[in-house]
Amino acid sequence: MFKKILIANRGEIAIRILKACQEMGISTVAVYSDADAYSPHVHLADEAICLGDPSPLESYLNIPKIIDAAIETNAEAIHPGYGFLAENADFAYACREAGIKFIGPEPEVIELMGDKIAAKKKMEKAGVPVIPGYHGERQENDFLVKQGKKIGFPLLVKAAAGGGGKGMRIVHSEEELEEAIEGAKREAKSSFGSDVVFLEKYLDKPRHIEFQILADEHGNTIHLFERECSIQRRHQKIIEETPSPVMTPELRKKMGEAAVKAAKAVGYTNAGTIEFMVDGSLNFYFMEMNTRLQVEHPITEATTGIDIVKWQLRIASGEKLTLKQKDVSQRGHAIECRIYAEDPANGFLPCSGILTKVEPPVGPNIRNDMGIETGMEVTAYYDPLLAKLIVSGENREDAIDKMIWALSNYVVLGITTNISFLKEVLNHEAFRKGEITTHFIDTHFKDLFAAKEIPFEALIALSVYDAMHAKPVRKEITALPTSDPYSPWKRVGKWRIGD
Amino acid sequence: MIEVEFNYEYDGRIYKMKVEKTKDAYLITFDETTYTVNATEIKPGYLKIKLGDKIIKAVISEGNESKFVFLNGNVYNIRRAISKGRKIEKEDEILSPISGKVVKVEVKEGDRVKKGDVIMVIEAMKMEYLIKAPYDGIIKKIYFKKDEQIDMGVKPVEIEKEEGSKK
Repeated sequence: MFKKILIANRGEIAIRILKACQEMGISTVAVYSDADAYSPHVHLADEAICLGDPSPLESYLNIPKIIDAAIETNAEAIHPGYGFLAENADFAYACREAGIKFIGPEPEVIELMGDKIAAKKKMEKAGVPVIPGYHGERQENDFLVKQGKKIGFPLLVKAAAGGGGKGMRIVHSEEELEEAIEGAKREAKSSFGSDVVFLEKYLDKPRHIEFQILADEHGNTIHLFERECSIQRRHQKIIEETPSPVMTPELRKKMGEAAVKAAKAVGYTNAGTIEFMVDGSLNFYFMEMNTRLQVEHPITEATTGIDIVKWQLRIASGEKLTLKQKDVSQRGHAIECRIYAEDPANGFLPCSGILTKVEPPVGPNIRNDMGIETGMEVTAYYDPLLAKLIVSGENREDAIDKMIWALSNYVVLGITTNISFLKEVLNHEAFRKGEITTHFIDTHFKDLFAAKEIPFEALIALSVYDAMHAKPVRKEITALPTSDPYSPWKRVGKWRIGD
Repeated sequence: MIEVEFNYEYDGRIYKMKVEKTKDAYLITFDETTYTVNATEIKPGYLKIKLGDKIIKAVISEGNESKFVFLNGNVYNIRRAISKGRKIEKEDEILSPISGKVVKVEVKEGDRVKKGDVIMVIEAMKMEYLIKAPYDGIIKKIYFKKDEQIDMGVKPVEIEKEEGSKK
């Protein structure tokens, strides 16, 4: 096992990995940008190296700086987390050249799976079903528009190197197509450094169901069952659960086998995820492979009892996978909600500011993976994911009730978050019934965004609070021009102290 | 006895509250009804309020311009209303919805734009946001160039509205 590793990430995932290392007795090195100097992941690590300027390209995406930090601290391996450099083959190659173990698959595999076009072709060859679309190399706008018309509408424009909904556009008509292609290319260029896009048929009643893979460097590959990730906004997941309400033992077997076949076809090693689209008739298609740890990995951990991050470390250090497929079983039901700094009522736009109070819910089978604390500033530099809330219960119903309780007791003040919105989704009849597709939020938009009056209890609470904290001051002081123009005492009529 | 009045603003509406503190209770008058409550601040910001047989548990924290009230899993961002009926002209304003970097400016000064035309593309947290013209008009002034940082709520351009244009 490694003696020391560097974690090339920030926020909740850096903390998740740091804690696994601590439990295993591995020394840790954190990296951070100027904007994150006081972040919890920096405190938690044994050593921390400053990368400088907050802009991602100068910090968490800067390969030479991170490699130098690892060399300087004698770290034997680098865990990239998710996002940033996690699926960057150049980074994995740079690690290899520097003699540092990259905790993930080989760079050649990242490169292959990162090129969504090549990945699909490879999967088609291996006998894994794929979605119809244009995955070719020609990228002229005119040509793509022609291909788009052939596939028909609605269709998706996706960044070939993409993931996480970035550089993705859904197009409903011919008129929108060219602008969508341009926008997706631009977003892809700035997020991934490549503006190659592809077009794909948009499925009916689509669900996003993925399979977790673990593969060691000795040829053993297993899957840890599925995750249902259909609840998305802006093509990014916000609620994930396992098992999927639509899954049958037969389908699970078929999809699990396809996932293992897909991973084996590319010589995959370490933890990875095969994403499938499943349509209304339960046909499934390979969508892409995420060659990294997934944001929603905790729900798999909650139902299988397997610590995926620890296995990543063991596999990377050359250990054999001692788990056999037949030994892996699922128990109960787990749900994850992603807590984002964003305003659902305003197109889910990200929010930034100071967190004046943070207090997560605690209780049996409630897990908080967090990158935030009271007093912290949330900047616009990075992804607005603040924390993840994971609960598990004996069955789906039980897990939903627990999640609603936990969200109702989750205090995050100072910045608008999606917590109330998540609660609306979980409370929705269709969600309860398991009738979910990737269009859930658009379909139930009206129910989820119903205008709400402020309850009078909130006004009473605030006025009591303000009355408690309004200190009587002497008249001449209130008369100063610099005093608070909103002071209630300016509007006070007659008052006296005592009776 | 102390008596204070608070004017709160939430979601564009004003709520007038009157609070009287007696020896052992607060009398709160709101919407012509007076409620008698007992309240304790259990720890800073955590209130337990007894109203009849109902218990209100709220968490309150203070931001720069407003206070946040957490109640039953929902958060209400409440401002102190400014007494002079200040009106917020929302309709005609063109403001950046987000803090981020300008990645594309689609217009030049003097350009004529139609309602819905894309004026600027702003990138924040790796997502793109389009700023569109809220009405037909002529671009009078552009305040931001490509690659410049723009803050949320800031006006990116000045558009002179064209006569006869509908909102």
